[in-house]
Amino acid sequence: MAEDRKPKDAPVAGGTKKAGILNRFDNPWLNWKFLTGAGILGVLFFLIFLGYQLWDTNLALSARAPLNLPPVGFTNWRGQEGVPEHPLGTENSGRDMLAMLIVGTPRTIIVGVIAATVGMLVGILLGFMAGFLGGLFDDVIRLAVDITITIPSLLVLIVIQSVLGRVDLVAMALLISLFTWATPTRYIRAQVLSMRESGYVQMARLSGVPVRDIMFKEIMPNLLPYLAASYIGNMAGAIVTAIGLEVLGFGPQRIPSLGVAIFFSVEAAALVRNMWWWWGFPTVILAIVFIALLLINLGLDEIANPRLRKAN
Amino acid sequence: MSQQLNPHPKSLPQNEGGTSKRDDSPSLLVEEGAGGRGVKDRVVLKVDNLRIHYATPQGDVIAVSDISFNLYEGETLGLVGESGCGKSTTAYGILQLVQPPGYIVHGSIEVDGTEVLNLSEEELRKFRWTGLSLIPQGAMNSLNPTMRVKDQIIDVIESHEGKKRDKEAMRERIFELFQNVGLPNRIYNMYPHELSGGMKQRVCIAMGVALHPTVVIADEATSALDVVVQRIVAQTLIKVKDEIGVSLIVIGHDMGLLAQIVDRIAVMYAGKMVEIAPVENVYANPLHPYTQLLIDSIPSIKERKPLKITEGITHDPRNPPSGCIFRLRCPFAWDHCAEVEPPPINVEEKHVVACHLFDEQFEERRAHAYATTANP
Amino acid sequence: MGGISLNYLVRRLLVFFLTLWVAATLIFIIPRLAPGDPISAMVARLSYQAGFVENSDQIIEGWKERFGLNDPVYVQYLRYMGGLLQGDLGYAMARFPSTVTELVGRALPWTIGLVGLATAIFFIVGNLCGALLAWYKTPKLVKVLIPMSMVFTSIPPLLAGLLLAYVFGFLIPLFPLNYSYGFGLQPEFTIEFIANVIHHGFLPAMAIVLVTFGYWALGMRGMMVTIEGEDYMILAQAKGLKPFYVLYRYMIRNAILPQMTALAVTIGTLVNGVVLVEVIFNYNGMGTLIFTAIREQDFGLIQGTSFILIMTSALAVLIIDLSYPLIDPRISLEGR
Repeated sequence: MAEDRKPKDAPVAGGTKKAGILNRFDNPWLNWKFLTGAGILGVLFFLIFLGYQLWDTNLALSARAPLNLPPVGFTNWRGQEGVPEHPLGTENSGRDMLAMLIVGTPRTIIVGVIAATVGMLVGILLGFMAGFLGGLFDDVIRLAVDITITIPSLLVLIVIQSVLGRVDLVAMALLISLFTWATPTRYIRAQVLSMRESGYVQMARLSGVPVRDIMFKEIMPNLLPYLAASYIGNMAGAIVTAIGLEVLGFGPQRIPSLGVAIFFSVEAAALVRNMWWWWGFPTVILAIVFIALLLINLGLDEIANPRLRKAN
Repeated sequence: MSQQLNPHPKSLPQNEGGTSKRDDSPSLLVEEGAGGRGVKDRVVLKVDNLRIHYATPQGDVIAVSDISFNLYEGETLGLVGESGCGKSTTAYGILQLVQPPGYIVHGSIEVDGTEVLNLSEEELRKFRWTGLSLIPQGAMNSLNPTMRVKDQIIDVIESHEGKKRDKEAMRERIFELFQNVGLPNRIYNMYPHELSGGMKQRVCIAMGVALHPTVVIADEATSALDVVVQRIVAQTLIKVKDEIGVSLIVIGHDMGLLAQIVDRIAVMYAGKMVEIAPVENVYANPLHPYTQLLIDSIPSIKERKPLKITEGITHDPRNPPSGCIFRLRCPFAWDHCAEVEPPPINVEEKHVVACHLFDEQFEERRAHAYATTANP
Repeated sequence: MGGISLNYLVRRLLVFFLTLWVAATLIFIIPRLAPGDPISAMVARLSYQAGFVENSDQIIEGWKERFGLNDPVYVQYLRYMGGLLQGDLGYAMARFPSTVTELVGRALPWTIGLVGLATAIFFIVGNLCGALLAWYKTPKLVKVLIPMSMVFTSIPPLLAGLLLAYVFGFLIPLFPLNYSYGFGLQPEFTIEFIANVIHHGFLPAMAIVLVTFGYWALGMRGMMVTIEGEDYMILAQAKGLKPFYVLYRYMIRNAILPQMTALAVTIGTLVNGVVLVEVIFNYNGMGTLIFTAIREQDFGLIQGTSFILIMTSALAVLIIDLSYPLIDPRISLEGR
């Protein structure tokens, strides 16, 4: 007859995973992915800050160091050994790799920040307007979003930049933001439409709360984690695009960013000259940045969507 | 263990015209009446001491608390109670479908002598639908939106009976099922979104009986439909049940509808079964104070009476009160109710109630209590 | 399967043609927004790079006359659009007798092949991994291995390409680092040639697959979790269907629909990545063509290549969008 069943013996069908469920009510922002990602970026920024304090960043300009030196402990194809003055080696126009990383990393990230911020602001504006105004305005916005998402941004930017030539980083970021508004707009519009029909917003409208208050007090707080995730995603996307443009030769070249460093190395066939430090260090730093952004993004997803948390 | 609420199973009497309340109900359907058609003595489903919890960080919520009952061959048992009383969880427990964070703490569920809880995963899979089938609560969303109706019926047949070569025979078999539940053949190739709510519910019924299971559990199968369709679907359910000869558990909260289709009614309150009796007795002579409340809440056209608002508070489901679970809302509760949990008491034949008022030593109190109420 | 609703069809076609029109117009307008005219600008850049250009004024006038740049802008625009409609993308200035159409025609099939193959691989592998991550019967070991294989997710294909090229093209030279097939081979349908193409295309394709499939796995896992909560899943369980059948017919089948829409949205990003991967591997597709055009300052070729790639992306999106109603029976009735 009735035998006692511990939760773990419960039949598969009623599958019980008590442990996984219990954190459901914990503070959602204490999400390990989110915190790890943010932590990685924090450490990176701290190191850059240290670098600015402790290292001569002028070494990132050309002809400030001997050419083509390998990192300390390695030998290059000419048999030269790395020297402590340039611990990560130098490249073929005499830039110090360590200084390039210190200078280039924040320059690369700032492009993403600018492009994502502009995209998000435009997205919030257009998304709310499309969602609330509806009608022809909404139709036009939807078409514009669909078209912008379909077009590979890099190709249009190549056309623009091949006319403009090389531009500085801020201009490049603004050009990229021609494409970063579409995803937030589409997302916010969809959310506004569904929330407009939801019970609590309907209640607010019925009780005469002004539209602006509904937007910023009722809808925005619920959108926050999604918007943050979309912002981070856009930032990563903008950095990828910027690197792409730089690798194609459209980056500012006097003070290099990480993408420009890779462009130089590709131009100089560093790959087959086994100058791995030249493209390798920038690549590793970028990989770390992207993984950190992805972790933050996944964490935000889980913060926004409790169902995903349950599945872990 | 003597927790069983129905210790002396006997065949139920034929329906004898019912009670005054039953006469009031619209005679739209089920002309022959419900009680006891083809009910036999054999127990097909024996639920014993079943307990189901939902795990939460603040402690387990007791959804189903040590309930026991029998279902007899050919019988229709109604399971009623207010939302959250554990009636659906009981059904899902019997079907082994309790979704996490819910889990079965202990109990025994025997279908035709098979202990369901001891089956291995593959045995359980094979047992499902042949032993126990489900007509789900939300038929609207219970059909796979990307599969044709026929494929969803074929897949259950083929996964239990093996691949069928003879497509024509399969087609005939499905048409027969359609006919049983009053569906037109043209829906054979349709997708669920092309059907109306009533049709989807009928598809679910057809699917539920496709393998002639021992027991069919209909979980609020008609709740989402409008009143007319509701009655027609309920009628269909009973007709199919009689034709195919399965036993049926109907879960619902519409006492009026249930009265017309079930043989016996089990009343649940906060995870406990408080009363189980043939349908005529429950309506004519409800014993448990909670059952009385439920019967009282059935609206009537003849008299307009104010809804009785139960005083007292509902308890925290993690910390049920000592003694009787209903005592906080019970108008008749006294000290004893807080001290001792009421045992099931066999008041008359097949009529079992879990309330101290029906303990012989408290007869006076019962007489007094019932004198003060309008209820019989 | 049900037909496609007219509303849906019209909307998708509208987006497609508008995309082409917007892209073509942008490409026409952008050079004219810059100070001066494109020819002068190009010659100026040429002289900046190569020192003095002899008779530059005459060259400029000659080109202007040749390309009709002395006509009013709207005439130029109409002629340009007319040319596009006939598939005439003009001449590749830096390789004069060749037309842009010729060069693009040679490069495009390789790019389509590369993207198509990579997409098929990451979409199938990614969705399968995601489904396995969420499925309750997946062995523990697999559930640990899949996330481990996803570490490269989110890194741009360009960087993955660099790493792969260095490790498997240079350190351990298993794969060639240029062109889509070996020199001396003629494109033909022989096993040798096909094997050679696969050999050349493997690393570029992997550079895309490695960094992309994780996204699809994550997306699929999310969809599976959502679907597990659906009513029809409980009924599927109650029906006692075989677990694997439930996995593919109930779960994956329903989860794949939103994944298809997501694919349509990411085509643009995908093409961005492929262009750069081609540059790294010197693969003779559109990416390398555009890279060469940039270095040769061949503005016509840049425009033409960009336009054709945009058109191809839009076409791919259109095809996916139109196939979506075939997979989801609900769309054909309700439209969108």
